Amino acid sequence: MKKNQLLAKWLNNDLSEDELAAFEASPDFEKYQKIKNYTDLLVVDDLNEDMMLATILKQKKVTPKVVPLYRKRYFQVAALLVLALGITLTFKLATNKTETADFGKQTSFTLPDNSEVVLNSGSEIGYKNWNWDNNRHLDLQGEAYFRVAKGKRFEVQTKLGKVAVLGTQFNVKTRKNRFDVVCYEGRVQVNYANKQIVLTHGQGVSFENGKQLKLDVAVSKPEWIDHNISFYKENIRTILDEVERQYNITIELNAKDTTSLFTGKLPAQNLDTALQIISTTYDLKVEKVSKNKIIIDEK
Amino acid sequence: MPNQPESNTCDEIIFSSFFKGQIKVLRNFLFYKFGNLEKAEDVAQEAFLKLWQNCASVPIEKAKSYVYTIANNSSLNEIAHQKVVLRYEKDFTGLDKTNESPEYILEEKQFQAKLLKAIENLNEKQRIAFLMHRIDGKKYSEIALDLNISVKAVEKRIHLALLSLRKEIDL
Repeated sequence: MKKNQLLAKWLNNDLSEDELAAFEASPDFEKYQKIKNYTDLLVVDDLNEDMMLATILKQKKVTPKVVPLYRKRYFQVAALLVLALGITLTFKLATNKTETADFGKQTSFTLPDNSEVVLNSGSEIGYKNWNWDNNRHLDLQGEAYFRVAKGKRFEVQTKLGKVAVLGTQFNVKTRKNRFDVVCYEGRVQVNYANKQIVLTHGQGVSFENGKQLKLDVAVSKPEWIDHNISFYKENIRTILDEVERQYNITIELNAKDTTSLFTGKLPAQNLDTALQIISTTYDLKVEKVSKNKIIIDEK
Repeated sequence: MPNQPESNTCDEIIFSSFFKGQIKVLRNFLFYKFGNLEKAEDVAQEAFLKLWQNCASVPIEKAKSYVYTIANNSSLNEIAHQKVVLRYEKDFTGLDKTNESPEYILEEKQFQAKLLKAIENLNEKQRIAFLMHRIDGKKYSEIALDLNISVKAVEKRIHLALLSLRKEIDL
């Protein structure tokens, strides 16, 4: 007899009459019937449903499951981004800001109080953005021209000295050992070593190796703003350094006389003319070795 | 079962009627599984308690599989399996009232005892399916649904259960 799930079908009264008749005729039928009859009588202990239900219903429900916004992943990501942005901004505000002008270039920018700064070639200024109005202090390397908005004390710190002003226009220039300050408008106070000098408009001062030099200024703004390089009693090496800085080139100097002082103007946008002026003044020979390299020899 | 939007599980009347319809079957299922009636009751109660506590997030349509899943999971590890000790209805005396000869009664008693032992010795899957049918009176399709298997698989388990019961009794 085929017993493919037949027993299960029989137990569930699913057999056809023929199948049933065949099964009832089989020798095992009686035993299966007995199993069926007896297992019909099996019971499991009752349980006290009502008591159990009452116990369960007494329990507090978990407060309706509102998934808080902060647990959603995209919100977490968004929050993280906002936080990162905030931190970055705070850092930007609190940390030093730096403006630079590369060799051969000038940069102009405004400070948070709208004071204007023009940076000459090869110069750098660092300042704190945060609380600028109450702490107008910046560090200068090189040369810069300031048009300071009215307000609290404005300080320019250089390696060589400090310049403090109250709303004015002035130029600060620091080179290796030389420190020039020229005032074009208002009043400027210059601290150099232990000295303190007050400049009014049209006045300038220069310190070189501790020696003080008075500068007279006839113009209303620095020459370099108009792309001229002006010198006042400076030696040839200093002048060539300045030319190198303005044109972003290197100049090799093979001359014996380097102490003669030069006063005058050189163009900052015409190298050939500038070199010609130098060669004529000092009676030297200029040779252009390559685009960025120049050698100056004795004639 | 009422067909309403979710969170109707939190309605006490709906929950109670669902509970009454399922608790004993679930308790029995657990009992067939690991043989400890007290534990089976605890696990079943725990499952329904969880359903009640989380009623807001479990719609009534999913409540059944929810309690079965919880009950299954919590009975997987903790409970040491025991023999499934069953008994017959208390007022049951014998089948054939016309034949009450001592030999007949003795034979029948022996058969009953053998049958119980044979059921105890069935493998777990066959026993669960077989007893759900015999004791809880469930249809094969219902058993299939509860155990998450096909009706064919239920039939196979029942068939094998009957085969092995008969074999054991003959020994």
